[in-house]
Amino acid sequence: MSKTQGSSHDGATAAVMSAANEAVTTATLPTTAAPSVRAVSVSFVLNGREVTWEGDPSAKLLDVLRDDLRLTGVKCGCREGECGACSILLDGVLVNSCMVAAGRVGGTEVTTIEGYCTTERFKVLDATFARRSAVQCGYCIPGMVLAAEALLSANPHPTEEEVRTGISGNLCRCTGYNAIVDAILDASKEGEGLW
Amino acid sequence: MVDRYAPTSLAAALDLMAHEELVPYAGGTDLMVDEALGRPFVFLHGIEELKGITDNEDSFIVGAGVTYRELLAHPATPELLKEAVAQIAAPAIRNTATLAGNIANASPKGDGALVCFAADAEIVLRSAETARRVPIASFYEGRGKTVRRPDELVTAVIIPKKHLAGYRFEKVGARKALAISRVSFVGLMTIEESVVAHLALAFGAVEDVVARRPAIDAMLIGKTIEAARGAAEEYLAAWDEAIQPIRGRVSAEYRKQVCLNLARDFITCRLG
Repeated sequence: MSKTQGSSHDGATAAVMSAANEAVTTATLPTTAAPSVRAVSVSFVLNGREVTWEGDPSAKLLDVLRDDLRLTGVKCGCREGECGACSILLDGVLVNSCMVAAGRVGGTEVTTIEGYCTTERFKVLDATFARRSAVQCGYCIPGMVLAAEALLSANPHPTEEEVRTGISGNLCRCTGYNAIVDAILDASKEGEGLW
Repeated sequence: MVDRYAPTSLAAALDLMAHEELVPYAGGTDLMVDEALGRPFVFLHGIEELKGITDNEDSFIVGAGVTYRELLAHPATPELLKEAVAQIAAPAIRNTATLAGNIANASPKGDGALVCFAADAEIVLRSAETARRVPIASFYEGRGKTVRRPDELVTAVIIPKKHLAGYRFEKVGARKALAISRVSFVGLMTIEESVVAHLALAFGAVEDVVARRPAIDAMLIGKTIEAARGAAEEYLAAWDEAIQPIRGRVSAEYRKQVCLNLARDFITCRLG
């Protein structure tokens, strides 16, 4: 983790430390904090690594991940749970990180696309998404891939309808749904035994 | 530090709430729509006592920490509730959102609250010192307003099972997933020995609070099917009079007409 200095706003400062204490990233909460803000320390496992974040527990996890922890694979589309671009896995369960308060994730395991892309399962989805030309502008894809993972880990051989339900919270404004559905169906066959 | 606001027992949570005005955070999916920064949340996900689902002979009890995902997966969840929950938002929301949160947040558009209104559910409220059960119709004081005191927590929702069998659920939204209801509807009718034994209609997303009018439904209850058929127009006219849709993005006139169409269709289908 490289050392970066966040820009200065009014409000509380969030400090992020790796468990190994290799480096310290200092960042600032993305929005002006209310005077009554109670900074708390939240420790969780992020992409397999213990992290501790300090700040307002009511901050959106989305902002914490993107702005403080610099995981920009977590996309910000709507900030109100309508688009799925900020999808992550919280203890293996698909959630919209804009709908999760930072204080909620203490003691949990958070997986973002940055962590997921090191897995064998990702490699299968990566290959099938590429072959089906399922990626157009790409903005929805991190969320789509994690929605696919959540679906396949619960149901390794989904029907087309189940795939469509599985990604029903993930909007693709390029409207390339058919290719995405095909890519997930391909992955369910080609990744036999992985899920 | 964080543990203080993420209690692991109900007693600890209620003790916190007795001393400080906190915002109960169950699934968070309604709370986090607003820019929530600075809101003093008390996180409830670590409280095992709130995670229970109890299937009694006459009631189905949902703990305040039970997510929609868990309700969908539970074998004893009443079909009406399952059908409504399956159409709420999308998987990522259902994975964390709760029925109790949907009710306590007091949005007029909550489809979970709608089902509870139709079923005449009761809300269980606990504080460090008190416990009470409030009929859902008395739980709301208006849009976003409930009788919950700041020191109280909704701990469970009790859904009577008696009248749920003959249900119809309809949700009118702009799309299939992630749709906020324009109108949502539950109709319950039980016919025993050719007599209307029970009738309850409830409309969501129309008024500040779910529209449920037991006095109107009483017009047909106790009548034979034939007599109820004869009184159906008068019954529907009473609903026409009663429903006063709030203004919204979709026109009030349209939503009212949808309500009346749904009511008419349900009544004529059931009475033949």
